Amino acid sequence: MKAISHDLRKLAERLVQYGRKQGADEIEVTLYDGREFDVEVRLGQIENLVEADSRYCAFRLFKDKKVASASSSDLSLSTLQALVRQALKRASPTHADEFAGLPAPARFKVTEDSLKLYDPEVAAMKPQEKIKMALTAERVALQDRRITNSFGASFVTNELRTILVNSSGFSGEYLQTYCSLSLGLQAGQGDRLVEDYWFSSKRHLRELAPPEEVARIAVERTVRQLNPRKVKTQNVPVIFEPTMTSWLLAFLFSCVSGTAVYQQTTFLAGRLGEKIGNDLITVVDDGLLPGRLGSRPFDSEGVPTQRTVVMERGILKNYLCNTYASRKLNLPATGNGNGRGVVPNNFYLEPGTVSAEEIIRSTRKGFLLTRVIGHGLNPVTGDISRGAGGLWIEDGQPLFPVSEVTIAGNLGQILQNIELVGNDIQFESPVCGPTIRVAEMTVAGK
Amino acid sequence: MVRRKISAKAELPDFQLKPADLKRILSLALARGGDFADIFLEYRTSLSILMEEDIIKESSESVTMGLGLRVIHRDRTGYAYTNDLSEEKLRSVALTASAIASSRTRQLRPIRFRLQRPDGDVARARLVATTRPLQEKIKLVERAYQSALRHDPVIKKVQVAYGESMQYVRIMNSEGLCVEDKRPMVKLVAMALAEKNGRRESGFCGGGGRVGLEYFDRQLRPETIGQEAAAEACLLLEAVDPPAGEMPVVLSPGHSGVLIHEAVGHLLEADFIRKKTSVLWNKLGKNVGSQQLNIYDDPTLPGFRGSYNFDDEGSRPQKTLLVEKGVVRGFLQDMLSSRLMKKDKTGHGRRQDFSCWPLPRMANTYIDRGEYDPEEIIRSVKKGFYVSRLSGGQVEDSGQFTFSVTLGYLIEDGRLGRPVRQATLIGTNLDILQKVEMVGSDLEFGWQTGTCSKEGQDVPVADGCPTMKISGMTVGGLR
Repeated sequence: MKAISHDLRKLAERLVQYGRKQGADEIEVTLYDGREFDVEVRLGQIENLVEADSRYCAFRLFKDKKVASASSSDLSLSTLQALVRQALKRASPTHADEFAGLPAPARFKVTEDSLKLYDPEVAAMKPQEKIKMALTAERVALQDRRITNSFGASFVTNELRTILVNSSGFSGEYLQTYCSLSLGLQAGQGDRLVEDYWFSSKRHLRELAPPEEVARIAVERTVRQLNPRKVKTQNVPVIFEPTMTSWLLAFLFSCVSGTAVYQQTTFLAGRLGEKIGNDLITVVDDGLLPGRLGSRPFDSEGVPTQRTVVMERGILKNYLCNTYASRKLNLPATGNGNGRGVVPNNFYLEPGTVSAEEIIRSTRKGFLLTRVIGHGLNPVTGDISRGAGGLWIEDGQPLFPVSEVTIAGNLGQILQNIELVGNDIQFESPVCGPTIRVAEMTVAGK
Repeated sequence: MVRRKISAKAELPDFQLKPADLKRILSLALARGGDFADIFLEYRTSLSILMEEDIIKESSESVTMGLGLRVIHRDRTGYAYTNDLSEEKLRSVALTASAIASSRTRQLRPIRFRLQRPDGDVARARLVATTRPLQEKIKLVERAYQSALRHDPVIKKVQVAYGESMQYVRIMNSEGLCVEDKRPMVKLVAMALAEKNGRRESGFCGGGGRVGLEYFDRQLRPETIGQEAAAEACLLLEAVDPPAGEMPVVLSPGHSGVLIHEAVGHLLEADFIRKKTSVLWNKLGKNVGSQQLNIYDDPTLPGFRGSYNFDDEGSRPQKTLLVEKGVVRGFLQDMLSSRLMKKDKTGHGRRQDFSCWPLPRMANTYIDRGEYDPEEIIRSVKKGFYVSRLSGGQVEDSGQFTFSVTLGYLIEDGRLGRPVRQATLIGTNLDILQKVEMVGSDLEFGWQTGTCSKEGQDVPVADGCPTMKISGMTVGGLR
């Protein structure tokens, strides 16, 4: 892999030089070199198996404060050079933007090693071992007679090298791995079917949940939904399982993204320093957590990643900015750059002290949200309206499964109304949080 | 040196790959005993332009080039892809994809290819976007932008995005099929943000399809796109919170096609049928909904976003009857499912790009016109909810589906009342399809901006429907 990395870095450097020679004021070149393995098994047989390496080049250049970018999966030098020339031509009829440009050069020492982004065990894993992981997970699940069909199990591994070179003197690269095991199941008879899935995803093989555990949880999540009821429309406390807290946080991320803030497309624009949530809410974006899925040494512009407190005890402290948004808003860049936009690194809600069980036990009447369907999230207003499924809770106990209802509320109000924060954060995705209870949301049904 | 000068008249760049080279690769792919192999070779260029804050901020171009190779052995698929088209790399791709088959080596019949080209063309592009100067496209963007901004003083921000692409494909398989095609696409969308008394709302509009730039002169002017987006944002400023609970629902023509995409289309995709995960797997020939429901998927509608001359396996697509008078009549088939189910192909095998294997997918899905006058449908509702604009939906195999309404109206005494913002509607298809009480005579198609996601693959689609009434559906509101 070393020799390849050397060649690709040389290619990136050549392209930067070429862009400058052709008249670009600044240019930034990124090269990705990835290897993918994906096996899907269903009912004990391999259904699909994909193996591939692929490369990809993306660049952005600036000329007289005008921007043009391009990307290509054809890495021949002639194609890439032609794209550079065309980009310079395209930049000319666009308008100058005083905020456009590369970030100021930064010095830092974080590497893939200190972040533990790469696991040689993932890279060395044999196809047969990967297939076995998927087969085992599904086999264990299908032993449960309540499971009537399988969507299949899949095991995925990825290795990805990212190389970034720019005309301000930045030159960096990192190598990362990813592995994931997932399983989808169906239960029920006739036309009354229910489905759910479970997964584990990590950078390191040793941290991945064993197939038996993924199977057990997938089975449990599926069968607990059998024979659901629809409840009457009412306002009740809603408990979010960690996977549900994840989407709520992803929505919060889209509302604190510096890009949305300068575009005024978020209800949280202009509210820095305000208390937008209660004391229980501390939200952090951290690109430097060793071994976590959202960690990386630098962002897409070469800005070092960092730990940024987004909300501290309910107070909105920081927006997450790439270089452009930071200049527009006159705020620091936070290492969240991703091409034109921003992405979360590890964006999480700080866990509290209560367990998920205690949260359920202390709920007299409420809705435990375990699944959502549909995309009704509006960052401009903070409005949320999604299809939902879960368990009805009374006197601290799950009473019966609920389906075909919706939950609705507003993120601004939810941040004020989170009354319990659990201790069960898992970091199975870059955006995550523990179990939480929201004092009141509208559950619409009959 | 390979020349890759792309113009409207150009055919698929030859990549220095001769048919004989590809033939050898296909033979190699079957050397371990696979039943079938195919190659999907793609070269695609795309361009996007973005305007916000009164300036053309950025343009971006991309080149997608690569080859995907699939080997099928019974119901197993081996897939490998690469963007390195050297002979050595292609040989290794063939070996990788063939690893799912492990019978002994067979003597292969030599493959004889017959090149097919489209008879007509579903694309309606006279001024093919990729051949037109950048200035022309910037003009379109500016026109949409200015008309949104000037629509009303409450409009504070506007974003307009233009996108175009030209995809060249060559598809070859071990049965001798060889297909070449080029597929143009354009899209112009506007987002407007209105602000009044500290309240903010956004509106959206767009259009395009497999058309040329003349579309924006004749069919949908950039000014209309800008004004519609702005008008929606302004309306939403006056909108009330949505009602909550079960009530009669009237769906507007065009946009509400999302409902049929989710509630029927996905669940008739043949992979879910043959795996028996779809709640409709055993419903062929059975009644699943109102007598008034006639549903089709037609990939051959001229200029439509979901249309194509050949699907991504090289099959010719057909207008496919899915539901007739409430009875399931057909499925959306790709090659693998049609083989395993011993049914005819319908030409619905589609893929996002060369890195993905084909899946049965929708193209342009619609409910055919019914008999009712749309006015009469609204008049028939005493108290209910009118769905005007939708942003998308989702379905699970059990038949439970949702769609997100960005703009609705209350219906009071047979008339549209106040506008209503953001609500999700939820139902189960076998239940909701029976509750379709009236189907209008006003079939329309939604904006040509839709994208459908399945198993991580995005493909362009369109959908349509006439005004429809559902006797009762859960509206996920706040009151």
